Amino acid sequence: MKPFSYVRPADADAAIAAAGVQGASFLAGGTTLIDLMRLEVMRPDALVDLGPLPLTAIERHGDGLQIGAMARNSDVAVHPVVVARYPLLAQALLAGASPQVRNMATVGGNLLQRTRCPYFRDLAAPCNKRAPGSGCSAVEGYTRSHAVLGTSASCIATHPSDMCVALAALDAIVHTRRGETTRTIPITALHTLPGDHPEVEHVLEHGELITHVELPASPFAAHARYIKVRDRAAFAFALAAAAVGLDVVGGRIRSARVALGGVATKPWRALEAEQLLAGQAPSRAVFERAAHAALAGARPQRDNAFKITLARRTIVRALELAWGVP
Amino acid sequence: MARLEAPITVGMVAPSFVLHDDAGRPLSSSEARGRPWVLAFARSWRPGGDDPALRAELRGLGAILFIASDTGVWSFRPDDDLELSAAGSARLTRELAELRARWGVPSGEDGVFVIDGDGAVRFALAPSGDLAGALAASLAAAGRALLGLPPRPGITRRDWAVMSLVAGFGVVALHGCRPRAPDRPGEPPPPLSAAAGSDIDVVLRINGQDRRLRIDARVSLLDALRERLALTGTRKGCDHGQCGACTVLRDGRPVNACLTLAVAAQGAEITTIEGLARGDQLHPVQAAFITHDAFQCGYCTSGQILSAVALLRDGRARTDDEVRQQMSGNICRCGAYPNIVAAIQAARKEVV
Repeated sequence: MKPFSYVRPADADAAIAAAGVQGASFLAGGTTLIDLMRLEVMRPDALVDLGPLPLTAIERHGDGLQIGAMARNSDVAVHPVVVARYPLLAQALLAGASPQVRNMATVGGNLLQRTRCPYFRDLAAPCNKRAPGSGCSAVEGYTRSHAVLGTSASCIATHPSDMCVALAALDAIVHTRRGETTRTIPITALHTLPGDHPEVEHVLEHGELITHVELPASPFAAHARYIKVRDRAAFAFALAAAAVGLDVVGGRIRSARVALGGVATKPWRALEAEQLLAGQAPSRAVFERAAHAALAGARPQRDNAFKITLARRTIVRALELAWGVP
Repeated sequence: MARLEAPITVGMVAPSFVLHDDAGRPLSSSEARGRPWVLAFARSWRPGGDDPALRAELRGLGAILFIASDTGVWSFRPDDDLELSAAGSARLTRELAELRARWGVPSGEDGVFVIDGDGAVRFALAPSGDLAGALAASLAAAGRALLGLPPRPGITRRDWAVMSLVAGFGVVALHGCRPRAPDRPGEPPPPLSAAAGSDIDVVLRINGQDRRLRIDARVSLLDALRERLALTGTRKGCDHGQCGACTVLRDGRPVNACLTLAVAAQGAEITTIEGLARGDQLHPVQAAFITHDAFQCGYCTSGQILSAVALLRDGRARTDDEVRQQMSGNICRCGAYPNIVAAIQAARKEVV
């Protein structure tokens, strides 16, 4: 691990100031950052430890909920309001990683989780995300775990987060601060597609601090489900995951949410599927049409065409369970 | 056997000391300069620098020996003769009393502390018999422990852990003693800015005791426990948060010590496997793991047990499937999973 300077700031202002220096990085739970620093995939010159900052509150905010950036995944997952009104988020969090990692990982850190693409983690392999312009080892490599949506010629790495998929379905709003400037970013606008610059993964400026995540009131609590399909039943990354919510009034779907994980280069909102579901009476046929629409733009690699079928079936199953089909 | 209530505990950075002889010449721990050193408190001591066994052990360790006796103070180097002796001055008597108080060895008792080259206390022993007779044997045991060697052929590593504490001649390990009041909340660490490559003074609260360390910011909690504090019950498996062998409790909840920077663990209450038993009384989960044969090679076991303790205290996971899910961060390559689940379910009724 490369030597780094360590800053334990007195408050958020000091943290933002310290992290504004070139080469500095915020340290939240450390489950991604320390791992990648040990591999020397990430080599920050300075770490600004957010651990002592009071950014852990989970509190009602109007009709919605406000979750501090340093709230631990395990705390969010069992918070009574989250369980009752945002079950998608609770289910997604509990599907992620291990109890140990969930006790460490934070909401803010999880928003910026790095890919698990094995070539990104392998210093010997060219990787446009790690070393811009060096090429993509995955496109010519073993692609079973890679993305089928949102890919480019430069990068096909999958976004690994479960939490972000649920937040995408819940229209979460990310609140940030840098200096005196605060801003709000819809979760769907936080992450960027790889395009020609896979090293850029989000729209945050250097030193911009995520302070909290806002969840607006959700009409989907009664009919919501997160399903994650993976190689083993625990502590594995998704091959395909779906977060769905249905707002059903008078036997018809008033609005729907469908977000996908494990198959895309960013947390993926399937707007085509949502539009197709709106106004329909819930049925397997409708769910299947929506699932097809969600994957219409999928581009398989050599080893991951199965993900298209798997993702469709995952969406249908999630919609069925959300609606109440046993 | 004397059991000493010492504020100096194994794993702490040893405080430096200076004593002065009648002529005002200093005798100081700074003479060690990066070498191991030994501080022995003696009720009475006859200069015995010609003791070949003692000299051999000191030479083997490369250590400097300081003897603070009520009848005088001495230092021995492995390659030199007696360095200094002094006795009787009021100043020395006062300094000796302060030194005894600082190290927690009451007047009238003997004590031996072995400090490694990094300045960490690695051994704290209270010889029950004559210090002079025990010192060479004590150094022999301590020295081999510092070098990571077994005491002699044919003794297993597990035996050695015990041997190194009793050292074969009737001494009692001073594993720190004096735990802090359990209800005292962890103090938030103060703001800090440390340059890359510089050492940082860190206080970790481990198993109810404050442990002082001087470490680079890169040191993981796992390496701090194993390499600096000699708490090797916490295991290093993958070092990437994927296997759970390094699981410790942070404020009661399981975390991966390998992904935790030690400097970022300040202010937290850390519990390792060494902190579960009460004296010779195993924690119910430890006992259940033995009863149910819940391990084979044992490498993952301390992490499994800490996750299990947290699981039972939390109380939410109740069915076997829920237990398996909640234990999924701890991998067992021997495949002892069925017995691990059985041990946890059996221990459930005994854990509050």
